[in-house]
Amino acid sequence: MKQVAAIAYYEMVHILKDKILLLLVFAVPLLYASLCGLVYFSGILTDIPLAVVDLDDSRLSREVVEAFENSPHFQVVPGIDTYAGLEKGMKEGTVRAGVVIPEDFEAIITQHRNTEVLTVYDASNLIWGFNIRKYTLEVISTFNARYTATYLAGLGLTEREISNALNNVRSNIEVWYNPTYSYANYILMGLYMIIIQQIGLLCVSLTITREKEKNSWLQYLCSPVAAWKIFLGKSLPYFLTNLMNYGLLLCFARSVVLVKVEGSTLLILLLGLLYSITITSAGFYLSLWAANSLQVTRYLLLLSAPFFMISGYCWPPTHIPEFINNTARLVPLTWMAEASRLVTVKNLGAPYLVDNILALTVMALVSTFFALTFSKRRNPPAPGGLEVDCGNSYPKRD
Amino acid sequence: MQNKVVSSMLRQCLAVMRREVYYLWRDKGLRKILLAGSLLGLLVFYATYSAQVLKGIPTAIVDLDCSRESRQLVEDISNTENLKVVANPGSFAEVEELIQRGEVVVGVVIPENYAKSVSLRRQVNLAVIIDGSNMIYATNAANTVLAITGTINAQAGIKTLIAGGMHPDQAREAFSSVTFREEPWFNPTLNYAYFLVLALALNVWQQCCMLTACMNIIGETGRKSWSLLKAAGVSKFMFFFSKSIVQIALFILTVLPVYYLSFNVFKLPLACSFWVFLLFTLAFALALHATGTLVSSFSRNAVNSTRFGMIIAVPSFILCGYTWPLEAMPQIVQQAAWVLPQTWFFQGINYLTFKDPGWTFMAPFFSALLVIAVLSYTAAALIASRS
Repeated sequence: MKQVAAIAYYEMVHILKDKILLLLVFAVPLLYASLCGLVYFSGILTDIPLAVVDLDDSRLSREVVEAFENSPHFQVVPGIDTYAGLEKGMKEGTVRAGVVIPEDFEAIITQHRNTEVLTVYDASNLIWGFNIRKYTLEVISTFNARYTATYLAGLGLTEREISNALNNVRSNIEVWYNPTYSYANYILMGLYMIIIQQIGLLCVSLTITREKEKNSWLQYLCSPVAAWKIFLGKSLPYFLTNLMNYGLLLCFARSVVLVKVEGSTLLILLLGLLYSITITSAGFYLSLWAANSLQVTRYLLLLSAPFFMISGYCWPPTHIPEFINNTARLVPLTWMAEASRLVTVKNLGAPYLVDNILALTVMALVSTFFALTFSKRRNPPAPGGLEVDCGNSYPKRD
Repeated sequence: MQNKVVSSMLRQCLAVMRREVYYLWRDKGLRKILLAGSLLGLLVFYATYSAQVLKGIPTAIVDLDCSRESRQLVEDISNTENLKVVANPGSFAEVEELIQRGEVVVGVVIPENYAKSVSLRRQVNLAVIIDGSNMIYATNAANTVLAITGTINAQAGIKTLIAGGMHPDQAREAFSSVTFREEPWFNPTLNYAYFLVLALALNVWQQCCMLTACMNIIGETGRKSWSLLKAAGVSKFMFFFSKSIVQIALFILTVLPVYYLSFNVFKLPLACSFWVFLLFTLAFALALHATGTLVSSFSRNAVNSTRFGMIIAVPSFILCGYTWPLEAMPQIVQQAAWVLPQTWFFQGINYLTFKDPGWTFMAPFFSALLVIAVLSYTAAALIASRS
């Protein structure tokens, strides 16, 4: 154990001496977490700029306008009173939704003829699009109920008869787990998991490439220290910091960004443990194969967006082709992001996470096995190998 | 004499450009990233979003009444375009379990005595549960559910009024005289692939370009051959200018197949002219290259330069407001986001691909990218000349 502790101490000294690595290990995860937290802090779209083109200006049309004005989600933009103005505003992004009430609207309704109110929304950004559609449907539903009630009252129906007609079949819509449709509750946990994965992998994958660049890796390989001890010693600081960052980010999400983080602490800890083991040992193994720090940095940072998009965290896996889903299942993030949603947002217990825990356990075991049993034999570098990215060095002024 | 100087400078420029092409080709990792990165990204993202529209939302219906009326209701819900009934459990607890397991997103419970209550004009409650944990599913499901329940409620109300002795036309008018028609503009089919695929592929492309640009200065000053170059008396300006031309040209060359596939093969929308779009991409390539060059000017080595560059490039897509709108972010984040060239670019491509608002509107976007380019190149030149 002394040998493991000595290697771990040496690695820790490296982390503390290398300012950029120190920042990567201790500050960047929290920095990214704060950035994402700030971006999604509001979580709900409010004050959506809405243009109302009221070409009728009657009592009924004003009631329609009032229904939209009273919605907490819309903010009526003044000064747009023509269809052309609405088109211009929508094109330039100054308004995101519009209501057009036709001329003679009230007169046509009174004459029992057909007419319609046009509602438009900007679908070039579907987050705008779907939210506006939902809010519009809510406003329309309230307006229609009120209109029908007034109409029936005009026909002389009693309050009870009106209520019976309106509420004969009532639909009680309950939204579970995220009743306010908060975007922060939806996206943040997945983003935090990819931050932990990518920054964790990046830090640990520099541990051997750095030795290779200093030509000191040879000393490890030639020394009588067993491969598993080298792995344990070199990985221990990164494993601990990954676990620490995992806890820190969850606390930050819950206490500062105020997103929903529920669920069993033990389960959250177990998932974090498995995730950190997988990341640390996979990063170590990558580092064994990578030629230098530049190469590993380039590839790892580039992979974050594709990993996140194919994970099925945003776009549902039921609508993703099976070959993409199968590829995504090889990435720890896919399992971890889903598991974190099931625990922290849906507050589910272990029986619902069997697949995720099993997959992460297998990944942790496989990656640890390969990292523990790496071969200490070293192939000499190919003569005349390429210097940048594939050799053991990269351009530096140090 | 002047002609000779100019031709000598041109020869030097061409030599440096040839050398840059050779160096970029020799950097095997960067070569693969640049040539394959964005194309691979486009293919992966297009495959991921190949369903394009979120239809067939898994739904479970519990029919505790099993009457003709309730079966009609089940059929009405099943016929909805966006919902797909995948389970008919026997109790609320089973629906709860299915939602918890993520097997269904919407659960509808038709209570016992539904038909009886409707016929006796007593109030009856349908329970509709939506799993809100995935917003994309939830908002789509909520919209569909709101529309269908509105229709169901209205139909029931009309029946109640007719049963109460009202004339059918009058009863219908009470519920449907004010008709609302909705029109989604710019992306009428609410297609996710149209909205996201190109932007995500361009996000990968800009990261690949950033990796290249981050090597611009440190890739030379960090090599031993730098002292030889300095001793040869090659002008720093001419040297990096020639290198930059090759890199920017390469950025544009690598984006062309992405655009070809996007617009000609995958038929993603492009409202503006292709040449305007390409010109806008060129302006962004300049700004991005300048930012990368600035990063490479103050970094001590290529790894740090890459890290700094990617610290800007990786979160820029989240910050740029392409998905979660800028307007919904705190003021301080909005202001910080506009400093990044990516924000101008991704906001700009949304306008150009869907809306084509015209030159007057797009002019500030072009100008901002050019200003960022000029400022960053100037700062990089100052730092490089002092180091």
